[in-house]
Amino acid sequence: MRRSTEVIAGLILAVVLQTVFGKISPSLLVVFNPFSWVVLYFGLTRQEVFGAVMGTVCGLLQDSLSLGVFGVGGLTKTLLGFGAGYISRKINVLSPGRTFVFVLIMAAAELVLWKFLVLFLFGERWSAAGGLVFLQPLFTAVFVTLLLQFKRKGGAEIP
Amino acid sequence: MFGLVFVHLLFISIQVPRGDEPAYFERAVFAVFTPVQHGVASFFQGLKDFWQNYFYFRDLRRQNRALESEALKLRQENLALKNMLLKFRGAEEIQGLLSTLSRSVLVASVIGFDSNRIYNSIELNKGAADGVHKDMVVLDRKAHLVGRVVEPVSSKQARVQLITDGDSGVGVYSERFRVIGILQGDAKGKCILKYIVKTNREVTVGEEILTSGLDGIYPSGVPVGRILSIVTPETDLFKKIVVEPYFDLSDLDQVAVFTVDLRDLS
Repeated sequence: MRRSTEVIAGLILAVVLQTVFGKISPSLLVVFNPFSWVVLYFGLTRQEVFGAVMGTVCGLLQDSLSLGVFGVGGLTKTLLGFGAGYISRKINVLSPGRTFVFVLIMAAAELVLWKFLVLFLFGERWSAAGGLVFLQPLFTAVFVTLLLQFKRKGGAEIP
Repeated sequence: MFGLVFVHLLFISIQVPRGDEPAYFERAVFAVFTPVQHGVASFFQGLKDFWQNYFYFRDLRRQNRALESEALKLRQENLALKNMLLKFRGAEEIQGLLSTLSRSVLVASVIGFDSNRIYNSIELNKGAADGVHKDMVVLDRKAHLVGRVVEPVSSKQARVQLITDGDSGVGVYSERFRVIGILQGDAKGKCILKYIVKTNREVTVGEEILTSGLDGIYPSGVPVGRILSIVTPETDLFKKIVVEPYFDLSDLDQVAVFTVDLRDLS
Protein backbone atom coordinates (compact mmCIF):
# COMPACT_ATOMS: atom_id res chain seq x y z
CA MET A 1 0.00 0.00 0.00
CA ARG A 2 2.80 2.40 0.99
CA ARG A 3 4.72 1.53 -2.17
CA SER A 4 1.71 2.18 -4.38
CA THR A 5 1.14 5.53 -2.69
CA GLU A 6 4.79 6.46 -3.18
CA VAL A 7 4.67 5.48 -6.85
CA ILE A 8 1.48 7.46 -7.52
CA ALA A 9 2.83 10.43 -5.55
CA GLY A 10 6.08 10.26 -7.54
CA LEU A 11 4.22 10.23 -10.87
CA ILE A 12 1.90 13.08 -9.95
CA LEU A 13 4.84 15.09 -8.57
CA ALA A 14 6.71 14.61 -11.86
CA VAL A 15 3.71 15.83 -13.89
CA VAL A 16 3.18 18.77 -11.52
CA LEU A 17 6.86 19.81 -11.66
CA GLN A 18 6.84 19.42 -15.44
CA THR A 19 3.83 21.76 -15.68
CA VAL A 20 5.25 24.26 -13.18
CA PHE A 21 8.60 24.47 -15.00
CA GLY A 22 6.76 24.96 -18.30
CA LYS A 23 4.66 27.75 -16.79
CA ILE A 24 7.72 29.55 -15.41
CA SER A 25 9.69 29.22 -18.66
CA PRO A 26 9.55 26.52 -21.36
CA SER A 27 13.38 26.55 -21.49
CA LEU A 28 13.46 25.07 -17.98
CA LEU A 29 11.99 21.86 -19.42
CA VAL A 30 15.22 21.38 -21.33
CA VAL A 31 17.33 21.58 -18.17
CA PHE A 32 15.04 19.85 -15.66
CA ASN A 33 13.62 16.40 -16.32
CA PRO A 34 11.48 15.43 -13.28
CA PHE A 35 10.58 12.06 -14.85
CA SER A 36 14.27 11.05 -14.79
CA TRP A 37 14.52 12.18 -11.15
CA VAL A 38 11.65 9.87 -10.20
CA VAL A 39 13.07 6.89 -12.14
CA LEU A 40 16.56 7.29 -10.67
CA TYR A 41 15.20 7.78 -7.17
CA PHE A 42 13.15 4.58 -7.30
CA GLY A 43 15.90 2.69 -9.12
CA LEU A 44 18.41 3.54 -6.38
CA THR A 45 16.07 2.96 -3.46
CA ARG A 46 14.05 -0.04 -4.71
CA GLN A 47 16.52 -1.87 -6.98
CA GLU A 48 16.41 -2.84 -10.63
CA VAL A 49 12.98 -4.43 -11.17
CA PHE A 50 11.12 -1.60 -9.51
CA GLY A 51 13.38 0.90 -11.29
CA ALA A 52 12.60 -0.69 -14.67
CA VAL A 53 8.84 -0.63 -13.99
CA MET A 54 9.01 3.01 -12.89
CA GLY A 55 11.09 3.75 -15.98
CA THR A 56 8.40 2.22 -18.18
CA VAL A 57 5.59 4.16 -16.50
CA CYS A 58 7.42 7.50 -16.37
CA GLY A 59 8.82 7.14 -19.90
CA LEU A 60 5.44 6.35 -21.45
CA LEU A 61 3.86 9.17 -19.48
CA GLN A 62 6.52 11.57 -20.77
CA ASP A 63 6.02 10.26 -24.31
CA SER A 64 2.27 10.84 -24.08
CA LEU A 65 2.93 14.50 -23.23
CA SER A 66 5.14 14.90 -26.28
CA LEU A 67 4.75 14.87 -30.05
CA GLY A 68 6.88 12.12 -31.55
CA VAL A 69 7.30 8.36 -31.59
CA PHE A 70 5.50 6.92 -28.57
CA GLY A 71 7.71 4.48 -26.67
CA VAL A 72 11.19 5.94 -27.23
CA GLY A 73 11.25 7.73 -23.87
CA GLY A 74 9.72 4.64 -22.28
CA LEU A 75 12.48 2.41 -23.65
CA THR A 76 15.34 4.66 -22.51
CA LYS A 77 13.85 5.24 -19.07
CA THR A 78 13.22 1.50 -18.57
CA LEU A 79 16.91 0.87 -19.28
CA LEU A 80 17.83 3.79 -17.01
CA GLY A 81 15.75 2.48 -14.09
CA PHE A 82 17.05 -1.06 -14.52
CA GLY A 83 20.67 0.05 -14.95
CA ALA A 84 20.56 2.38 -11.95
CA GLY A 85 19.08 -0.33 -9.69
CA TYR A 86 21.34 -3.12 -10.91
CA ILE A 87 24.67 -1.26 -10.88
CA SER A 88 23.98 0.47 -7.55
CA ARG A 89 23.60 -3.01 -6.02
CA LYS A 90 27.05 -4.04 -7.30
CA ILE A 91 29.04 -0.96 -6.33
CA ASN A 92 29.04 1.35 -3.33
CA VAL A 93 27.18 4.57 -4.10
CA LEU A 94 26.22 5.49 -0.55
CA SER A 95 28.33 8.62 -0.05
CA PRO A 96 26.97 11.85 -1.55
CA GLY A 97 29.98 12.26 -3.85
CA ARG A 98 29.64 8.74 -5.24
CA THR A 99 25.88 9.12 -5.61
CA PHE A 100 26.39 12.37 -7.51
CA VAL A 101 28.94 10.88 -9.94
CA PHE A 102 26.88 7.71 -10.44
CA VAL A 103 23.64 9.60 -11.15
CA LEU A 104 25.50 12.01 -13.44
CA ILE A 105 26.84 9.11 -15.51
CA MET A 106 23.45 7.37 -15.63
CA ALA A 107 21.60 10.55 -16.64
CA ALA A 108 24.21 11.31 -19.32
CA ALA A 109 23.91 7.74 -20.62
CA GLU A 110 20.11 8.11 -20.82
CA LEU A 111 20.47 11.36 -22.78
CA VAL A 112 22.96 9.79 -25.21
CA LEU A 113 20.75 6.72 -25.74
CA TRP A 114 17.64 8.84 -26.25
CA LYS A 115 19.46 11.11 -28.70
CA PHE A 116 20.77 8.06 -30.57
CA LEU A 117 17.29 6.55 -30.92
CA VAL A 118 15.72 9.85 -31.97
CA LEU A 119 18.38 10.82 -34.48
CA PHE A 120 19.50 7.59 -36.06
CA LEU A 121 16.63 5.14 -35.74
CA PHE A 122 13.65 7.44 -36.23
CA GLY A 123 15.22 10.26 -38.22
CA GLU A 124 13.58 12.91 -36.03
CA ARG A 125 15.13 16.34 -35.61
CA TRP A 126 16.60 17.13 -32.23
CA SER A 127 17.65 20.38 -30.67
CA ALA A 128 20.32 20.92 -28.04
CA ALA A 129 18.59 24.25 -27.20
CA GLY A 130 21.85 26.17 -27.37
CA GLY A 131 23.67 23.58 -25.27
CA LEU A 132 21.18 23.82 -22.39
CA VAL A 133 20.27 20.15 -22.73
CA PHE A 134 23.80 19.15 -21.69
CA LEU A 135 23.10 20.67 -18.28
CA GLN A 136 20.26 18.20 -17.79
CA PRO A 137 22.44 15.33 -16.41
CA LEU A 138 24.14 17.79 -14.04
CA PHE A 139 20.87 19.08 -12.58
CA THR A 140 19.47 15.54 -12.45
CA ALA A 141 22.53 14.46 -10.45
CA VAL A 142 22.19 17.42 -8.05
CA PHE A 143 18.49 16.89 -7.40
CA VAL A 144 18.58 13.10 -7.06
CA THR A 145 21.63 13.28 -4.74
CA LEU A 146 19.87 15.86 -2.55
CA LEU A 147 16.69 13.78 -2.53
CA LEU A 148 18.59 10.63 -1.51
CA GLN A 149 20.57 12.47 1.19
CA PHE A 150 17.32 13.86 2.53
CA LYS A 151 15.85 10.36 2.66
CA ARG A 152 18.99 8.90 4.26
CA LYS A 153 19.05 11.57 6.95
CA GLY A 154 15.37 10.85 7.53
CA GLY A 155 16.46 7.38 8.69
CA ALA A 156 15.09 5.34 5.82
CA GLU A 157 17.02 2.32 4.72
CA ILE A 158 18.82 2.40 1.38
CA PRO A 159 20.08 -0.88 -0.03
CA MET B 1 13.23 -6.47 -17.95
CA PHE B 2 13.20 -8.08 -21.41
CA GLY B 3 9.41 -8.17 -21.25
CA LEU B 4 9.30 -4.41 -20.64
CA VAL B 5 11.74 -3.72 -23.48
CA PHE B 6 9.60 -5.96 -25.71
CA VAL B 7 6.48 -3.97 -24.75
CA HIS B 8 8.22 -0.71 -25.75
CA LEU B 9 9.39 -2.14 -29.06
CA LEU B 10 5.80 -3.30 -29.63
CA PHE B 11 4.51 0.22 -28.90
CA ILE B 12 7.01 1.72 -31.33
CA SER B 13 6.25 -0.90 -34.01
CA ILE B 14 2.45 -0.60 -33.93
CA GLN B 15 2.73 3.09 -34.76
CA VAL B 16 4.32 2.40 -38.16
CA PRO B 17 1.20 1.27 -40.07
CA ARG B 18 -0.99 3.79 -38.22
CA GLY B 19 0.95 6.79 -39.56
CA ASP B 20 0.52 9.90 -37.38
CA GLU B 21 -2.47 8.50 -35.49
CA PRO B 22 -1.56 8.07 -31.80
CA ALA B 23 -1.79 4.66 -30.17
CA TYR B 24 -4.85 3.96 -28.00
CA PHE B 25 -2.60 3.65 -24.97
CA GLU B 26 -1.08 7.08 -25.69
CA ARG B 27 -4.59 8.55 -25.98
CA ALA B 28 -5.54 6.96 -22.64
CA VAL B 29 -2.43 8.24 -20.81
CA PHE B 30 -2.95 11.69 -22.36
CA ALA B 31 -6.59 11.75 -21.21
CA VAL B 32 -5.67 10.66 -17.66
CA PHE B 33 -2.71 12.95 -16.97
CA THR B 34 -3.50 16.14 -18.87
CA PRO B 35 -6.23 17.06 -16.31
CA VAL B 36 -3.40 17.12 -13.71
CA GLN B 37 -1.56 19.59 -15.94
CA HIS B 38 -4.81 21.49 -16.40
CA GLY B 39 -5.26 21.79 -12.61
CA VAL B 40 -1.67 22.88 -11.95
CA ALA B 41 -1.73 25.37 -14.84
CA SER B 42 -5.03 26.84 -13.59
CA PHE B 43 -3.61 27.16 -10.08
CA PHE B 44 -0.55 28.99 -11.40
CA GLN B 45 -2.68 31.19 -13.62
CA GLY B 46 -4.77 32.06 -10.55
CA LEU B 47 -1.64 32.98 -8.59
CA LYS B 48 -0.36 35.06 -11.49
CA ASP B 49 -3.72 36.84 -11.84
CA PHE B 50 -3.81 37.54 -8.09
CA TRP B 51 -0.29 38.99 -8.24
CA GLN B 52 -1.11 41.16 -11.23
CA ASN B 53 -4.49 42.30 -9.87
CA TYR B 54 -3.10 43.20 -6.47
CA PHE B 55 0.29 44.73 -7.21
CA TYR B 56 -0.45 46.33 -10.54
CA PHE B 57 -3.77 47.86 -9.54
CA ARG B 58 -2.32 51.36 -9.63
CA ASP B 59 -1.50 50.95 -13.31
CA LEU B 60 -5.11 50.10 -14.08
CA ARG B 61 -6.24 53.65 -14.82
CA ARG B 62 -3.38 54.27 -17.27
CA GLN B 63 -3.91 50.88 -18.92
CA ASN B 64 -7.64 51.53 -19.13
CA ARG B 65 -7.07 54.82 -20.95
CA ALA B 66 -4.63 53.17 -23.36
CA LEU B 67 -7.10 50.35 -24.05
CA GLU B 68 -9.95 52.81 -24.57
CA SER B 69 -7.95 54.68 -27.18
CA GLU B 70 -6.89 51.39 -28.82
CA ALA B 71 -10.52 50.19 -28.88
CA LEU B 72 -11.54 53.48 -30.50
CA LYS B 73 -8.90 53.05 -33.19
CA LEU B 74 -9.90 49.43 -33.77
CA ARG B 75 -13.60 50.39 -34.02
CA GLN B 76 -12.73 52.97 -36.65
CA GLU B 77 -10.57 50.49 -38.51
CA ASN B 78 -13.31 47.88 -38.29
CA LEU B 79 -15.87 50.35 -39.66
CA ALA B 80 -13.58 51.35 -42.53
CA LEU B 81 -12.94 47.69 -43.39
CA LYS B 82 -16.67 46.89 -43.27
CA ASN B 83 -17.37 49.77 -45.63
CA MET B 84 -14.65 48.57 -47.96
CA LEU B 85 -16.07 45.05 -47.89
CA LEU B 86 -19.56 46.35 -48.69
CA LYS B 87 -18.24 47.43 -52.07
CA PHE B 88 -17.42 43.83 -52.93
CA ARG B 89 -20.20 41.87 -51.25
CA GLY B 90 -23.76 42.32 -50.08
CA ALA B 91 -24.42 43.73 -46.58
CA GLU B 92 -26.25 40.61 -45.37
CA GLU B 93 -23.50 38.35 -46.59
CA ILE B 94 -20.88 40.41 -44.74
CA GLN B 95 -22.95 40.54 -41.53
CA GLY B 96 -23.28 36.75 -41.67
CA LEU B 97 -19.56 36.35 -42.29
CA LEU B 98 -18.58 38.62 -39.40
CA SER B 99 -20.99 37.00 -36.93
CA THR B 100 -19.67 33.55 -37.93
CA LEU B 101 -16.11 34.77 -37.40
CA SER B 102 -16.81 36.22 -33.95
CA ARG B 103 -18.48 32.96 -32.84
CA SER B 104 -15.71 30.80 -34.24
CA VAL B 105 -12.82 32.10 -32.13
CA LEU B 106 -12.18 29.98 -29.06
CA VAL B 107 -9.72 31.36 -26.52
CA ALA B 108 -7.66 28.59 -24.92
CA SER B 109 -4.94 28.56 -22.26
CA VAL B 110 -1.65 26.74 -22.75
CA ILE B 111 -1.42 24.13 -19.97
CA GLY B 112 1.72 22.31 -21.03
CA PHE B 113 4.72 22.27 -23.31
CA ASP B 114 6.27 19.29 -25.08
CA SER B 115 8.11 17.25 -22.47
CA ASN B 116 10.82 16.00 -24.83
CA ARG B 117 11.28 18.79 -27.39
CA ILE B 118 9.82 22.15 -26.40
CA TYR B 119 9.55 23.56 -29.92
CA ASN B 120 7.37 20.70 -31.15
CA SER B 121 4.02 20.96 -29.41
CA ILE B 122 1.87 22.52 -26.68
CA GLU B 123 -1.23 21.36 -24.83
CA LEU B 124 -4.41 23.41 -24.54
CA ASN B 125 -7.20 23.41 -21.95
CA LYS B 126 -9.90 23.02 -24.62
CA GLY B 127 -10.84 19.77 -26.28
CA ALA B 128 -13.46 17.89 -28.25
CA ALA B 129 -16.20 18.93 -25.77
CA ASP B 130 -15.48 22.57 -26.68
CA GLY B 131 -15.66 21.86 -30.40
CA VAL B 132 -11.92 21.48 -30.99
CA HIS B 133 -10.82 18.88 -33.50
CA LYS B 134 -7.85 17.94 -35.67
CA ASP B 135 -6.36 20.49 -38.12
CA MET B 136 -7.94 23.57 -36.53
CA VAL B 137 -5.75 26.66 -36.90
CA VAL B 138 -4.16 28.19 -33.78
CA LEU B 139 -3.01 31.82 -33.59
CA ASP B 140 -1.36 33.82 -30.80
CA ARG B 141 -2.69 37.02 -29.18
CA LYS B 142 -1.37 39.16 -32.03
CA ALA B 143 -2.97 36.90 -34.68
CA HIS B 144 0.34 35.33 -35.73
CA LEU B 145 0.38 31.70 -36.77
CA VAL B 146 1.26 29.23 -33.98
CA GLY B 147 0.29 25.87 -35.45
CA ARG B 148 -2.57 23.41 -35.85
CA VAL B 149 -4.45 20.98 -33.63
CA VAL B 150 -3.22 17.39 -33.91
CA GLU B 151 -4.16 14.10 -32.25
CA PRO B 152 -4.67 13.21 -29.43
CA VAL B 153 -7.66 15.44 -28.66
CA SER B 154 -9.37 14.46 -25.41
CA SER B 155 -12.70 15.85 -24.22
CA LYS B 156 -11.12 18.78 -22.36
CA GLN B 157 -7.54 18.98 -23.69
CA ALA B 158 -5.91 19.10 -27.10
CA ARG B 159 -2.41 19.05 -28.54
CA VAL B 160 -1.11 21.63 -31.00
CA GLN B 161 1.74 20.99 -33.42
CA LEU B 162 3.86 24.17 -33.55
CA ILE B 163 5.13 25.48 -36.88
CA THR B 164 8.66 25.09 -35.44
CA ASP B 165 8.23 21.30 -35.24
CA GLY B 166 10.56 19.50 -37.65
CA ASP B 167 7.66 17.55 -39.15
CA SER B 168 5.38 20.54 -39.73
CA GLY B 169 4.82 22.08 -43.15
CA VAL B 170 3.06 25.34 -44.02
CA GLY B 171 2.38 26.71 -47.51
CA VAL B 172 3.66 30.32 -47.50
CA TYR B 173 4.52 33.25 -49.74
CA SER B 174 6.78 36.27 -49.34
CA GLU B 175 5.13 39.66 -48.81
CA ARG B 176 6.67 41.73 -51.63
CA PHE B 177 6.86 39.52 -54.74
CA ARG B 178 4.63 36.67 -53.51
CA VAL B 179 7.30 34.00 -53.99
CA ILE B 180 5.69 30.71 -52.99
CA GLY B 181 7.48 28.14 -50.80
CA ILE B 182 7.02 25.64 -47.99
CA LEU B 183 7.90 26.51 -44.43
CA GLN B 184 9.26 23.71 -42.28
CA GLY B 185 10.26 23.87 -38.62
CA ASP B 186 13.87 23.22 -37.65
CA ALA B 187 12.95 21.93 -34.14
CA LYS B 188 15.20 24.66 -32.70
CA GLY B 189 12.70 27.52 -32.57
CA LYS B 190 13.17 28.72 -36.16
CA CYS B 191 11.72 27.70 -39.53
CA ILE B 192 13.27 26.96 -42.93
CA LEU B 193 11.70 28.34 -46.11
CA LYS B 194 12.18 25.57 -48.66
CA TYR B 195 12.16 25.17 -52.41
CA ILE B 196 13.22 28.70 -53.36
CA VAL B 197 15.64 28.23 -56.26
CA LYS B 198 19.02 29.90 -55.87
CA THR B 199 18.55 32.00 -59.02
CA ASN B 200 15.58 33.75 -57.38
CA ARG B 201 16.53 37.30 -56.35
CA GLU B 202 13.09 38.43 -55.21
CA VAL B 203 13.34 37.21 -51.61
CA THR B 204 15.17 39.50 -49.19
CA VAL B 205 16.24 39.46 -45.53
CA GLY B 206 13.67 41.09 -43.24
CA GLU B 207 10.75 40.35 -45.55
CA GLU B 208 7.49 39.16 -44.01
CA ILE B 209 6.23 35.63 -44.69
CA LEU B 210 2.49 34.90 -44.83
CA THR B 211 0.45 31.72 -45.29
CA SER B 212 -0.55 30.97 -48.88
CA GLY B 213 -3.47 28.64 -48.15
CA LEU B 214 -2.13 26.17 -50.72
CA ASP B 215 -1.49 23.47 -48.11
CA GLY B 216 -5.21 22.91 -47.58
CA ILE B 217 -5.01 23.50 -43.81
CA TYR B 218 -4.09 27.12 -43.11
CA PRO B 219 -6.07 30.05 -44.55
CA SER B 220 -4.31 32.56 -46.79
CA GLY B 221 -2.72 35.78 -45.48
CA VAL B 222 -1.92 34.90 -41.86
CA PRO B 223 1.43 36.46 -40.76
CA VAL B 224 3.96 33.75 -39.90
CA GLY B 225 7.36 35.38 -39.46
CA ARG B 226 10.21 37.34 -40.96
CA ILE B 227 13.22 36.20 -43.01
CA LEU B 228 16.29 36.11 -40.78
CA SER B 229 19.00 34.98 -43.18
CA ILE B 230 19.50 33.77 -46.74
CA VAL B 231 22.37 31.54 -47.80
CA THR B 232 22.92 30.62 -51.45
CA PRO B 233 24.89 27.36 -51.54
CA GLU B 234 27.10 26.61 -54.49
CA THR B 235 26.23 22.96 -54.82
CA ASP B 236 22.54 22.91 -53.85
CA LEU B 237 19.66 23.87 -56.15
CA PHE B 238 17.71 25.76 -53.48
CA LYS B 239 18.51 28.68 -51.18
CA LYS B 240 18.78 28.09 -47.45
CA ILE B 241 16.36 30.61 -45.95
CA VAL B 242 15.88 30.85 -42.17
CA VAL B 243 12.64 32.41 -40.94
CA GLU B 244 12.11 33.74 -37.41
CA PRO B 245 8.50 32.97 -36.41
CA TYR B 246 6.52 35.84 -34.88
CA PHE B 247 5.08 33.83 -32.00
CA ASP B 248 7.09 33.73 -28.78
CA LEU B 249 7.02 30.41 -26.93
CA SER B 250 7.69 32.04 -23.55
CA ASP B 251 4.77 34.45 -24.06
CA LEU B 252 2.29 31.81 -25.12
CA ASP B 253 -0.17 31.91 -22.21
CA GLN B 254 -3.31 32.14 -24.29
CA VAL B 255 -4.05 31.30 -27.91
CA ALA B 256 -7.01 31.56 -30.28
CA VAL B 257 -8.35 28.39 -31.88
CA PHE B 258 -10.49 28.86 -34.99
CA THR B 259 -13.33 26.37 -34.79
CA VAL B 260 -14.44 26.96 -38.39
CA ASP B 261 -12.52 26.40 -41.57
CA LEU B 262 -11.27 29.90 -42.35
CA ARG B 263 -10.80 28.97 -45.99
CA ASP B 264 -14.57 28.59 -46.33
CA LEU B 265 -15.04 32.19 -45.19
CA SER B 266 -12.48 33.79 -47.48
